[in-house]
Amino acid sequence: MHDGSGLIAVQNLTKQFGSVTAVQNLSFTVSPGSVTGFLGPNGAGKTTTLRMLLGLVKPTGGTATINGRPFHQLGQPGRVVGAVLEAQGFHPARSARDHLRVYAAAIGVPDAQADQVLGLVGLGTAADRKVGGFSLGMKQRLALATALLGDPQVLVLDEPANGLDPEGIAWLRTFLQSYARMGRTVLISSHLLAEVEQTVDQVVIISRGQTMFYGPLEQLRQSQQQRVLVQPSDVNALAMALRNEGVQTIEQLPDGRLAVSGVDSKHVADSALRAGVSIYGIQEEQVDLERLFFQLTSGQYAGYAPAPYQQQQQGGWA
Amino acid sequence: MGNLVQAELRKTTTTGLWWGLLIPTAVLALGWGLATGLLGQFFVDFASSSDVDEVSDFLGVSPDQWKVSLFGMARAINISTIFPMIFGAMAISGEINRRTITTTFLTAPSRMHSMLAKMLVYVLWGAIYGLVIMLFVSVGVVLTSESGQLPDAGGWAMLTLVCVLSSILMTMFGVGVGALIPNVAGTVVLLLLYFLVIENVLHGVLAYLEVPAVIGFLPNGSINGLTGSVAVDLFLSTAGVVPPEIEDVLRAIAGAGGALDWWWSGLVFLAWSGIVFAGGWAVTQAKDIT
Ligand SMILES: Nc1ncnc2c1ncn2[C@@H]1O[C@H](COP(=O)(O)OP(=O)(O)OP(=O)(O)O)[C@@H](O)[C@H]1O
Ligand SMILES: [Mg+2]
Repeated sequence: MHDGSGLIAVQNLTKQFGSVTAVQNLSFTVSPGSVTGFLGPNGAGKTTTLRMLLGLVKPTGGTATINGRPFHQLGQPGRVVGAVLEAQGFHPARSARDHLRVYAAAIGVPDAQADQVLGLVGLGTAADRKVGGFSLGMKQRLALATALLGDPQVLVLDEPANGLDPEGIAWLRTFLQSYARMGRTVLISSHLLAEVEQTVDQVVIISRGQTMFYGPLEQLRQSQQQRVLVQPSDVNALAMALRNEGVQTIEQLPDGRLAVSGVDSKHVADSALRAGVSIYGIQEEQVDLERLFFQLTSGQYAGYAPAPYQQQQQGGWA
Repeated sequence: MGNLVQAELRKTTTTGLWWGLLIPTAVLALGWGLATGLLGQFFVDFASSSDVDEVSDFLGVSPDQWKVSLFGMARAINISTIFPMIFGAMAISGEINRRTITTTFLTAPSRMHSMLAKMLVYVLWGAIYGLVIMLFVSVGVVLTSESGQLPDAGGWAMLTLVCVLSSILMTMFGVGVGALIPNVAGTVVLLLLYFLVIENVLHGVLAYLEVPAVIGFLPNGSINGLTGSVAVDLFLSTAGVVPPEIEDVLRAIAGAGGALDWWWSGLVFLAWSGIVFAGGWAVTQAKDIT
């Protein structure tokens, strides 16, 4: 039925809910052997994309395939892909074990598998309790156990860390990494880069239903441009001097400082000395990933693509 | 497919809904059975004591041999099968309400597979409900009726058959409606309103318009016809020669006014179930599960 490659391919995927464009011409692929983060702010279209991939939502346009096949052609989908989705339900009167046995039967795996995955996610002692009495984190663990029932090659998780305690998050992190290291595919969504930063190798960042960045996390880190923030005695003189040396990306910040990109602080200090400008303060800015993520995904409801530093001014950055 | 059927069966046995609805079903069936015997007895006493001899004359048997219990049993079955229908109605709408439908669809080759597996399991449940209904109606009737008013062995067998069939068909109809209107409260209210009120009003209107034949083609009319016709047939088979006007009255008493032969009625209702299920399937197929 499917090629067994473990590849997830999303191509020109579009979804329109009435007048709302939830996903717009989205394309990316996820390869086996790595954990890929699927990131975007609230309402960016993450859940919609994952549900289209899993055959739960019909795309308006484009395709989403797993192992080269659309979901409904996988044959035994429960053995190929396991999923934890937002707002996935449980019958409150069913015990955790019964819940898993229902789906173990559907997937066609032995009942013993139910107890095994319960133990795996740390719910072994709650197996006979009714799910209605479970905490949010326990439900999230049970959802994960359900996803693992068929020992799938591909894992798709929508905000799986929701409700998990720090210990649970740490466990999930190592679990997903080792899962990927077995040559399987893991796609995990989040609206917080920091939450998955230590887990993922690749990232797909979307905003307003469109891809903003897609590649290794390392590459994202390196793409950030260092800036030097300097407070000179004469702003204009220093800016002039730098421009004369060919430095073009100079910006004046609201607090009177200059932000200079593309050179290091030593270069700026030397220029200032040559121009006879005193420096009252100088520092190299550390742009963290979260801020970069913010820059990539901001303006969801603003309707324009913001210039990177303009955004920071608006944010009262100092 | 076998896997999915087992999964669906487990879904029904791991929550309390099946017995939560089976208990009132049994109570209702028993109540109707008891009332049937008492009413029948009252009627027979009345008929024997007064000057309705003419009636008994052309029915060809004395009133105490009338199998009046048949009519009450047909009615009891009709009313009681509302419960398996509600049980069926929760099959898909319940999963959508609780959002378990997501996992169900994630673990099935296709939505059609899921729905067919569900249908098979609910056919089984329909049969179980049907047997329980028959059992409790029978106990009620036997407790309160003279033996002369009870059906013979063949009659019991025939009634059991149509009771189980009727229950299965009602359950299937419920499953279809539950898929068509994926909302538990909406489905249940609509079904109760339709089967208890709307169609009865329609029957009145149709009778008034002097086109009672149409009744047999409506959902409730046809499912009532399935049991009602059998009751009338059984009654008539021991009652001698009956003029057509009286037969019509008897059919009305059995809740099968304007109905067709029992097997025709069954086929008509099966067609209704098929239409509703097809509609439910189309809705489910196209639905975005968000
Ligand atoms: N069933 C629906 N009907 C109408 N609009 C919808 C529906 N589902 C999602 N949307 C819209 O599609 C857009 C994307 O929603 P989606 O749930 O995919 O975002 P998300 O990235 O998962 O957000 P979050 O981080 O909050 O989970 C939103 O504007 C949302 O309002
Ligand atoms: Mg979401």
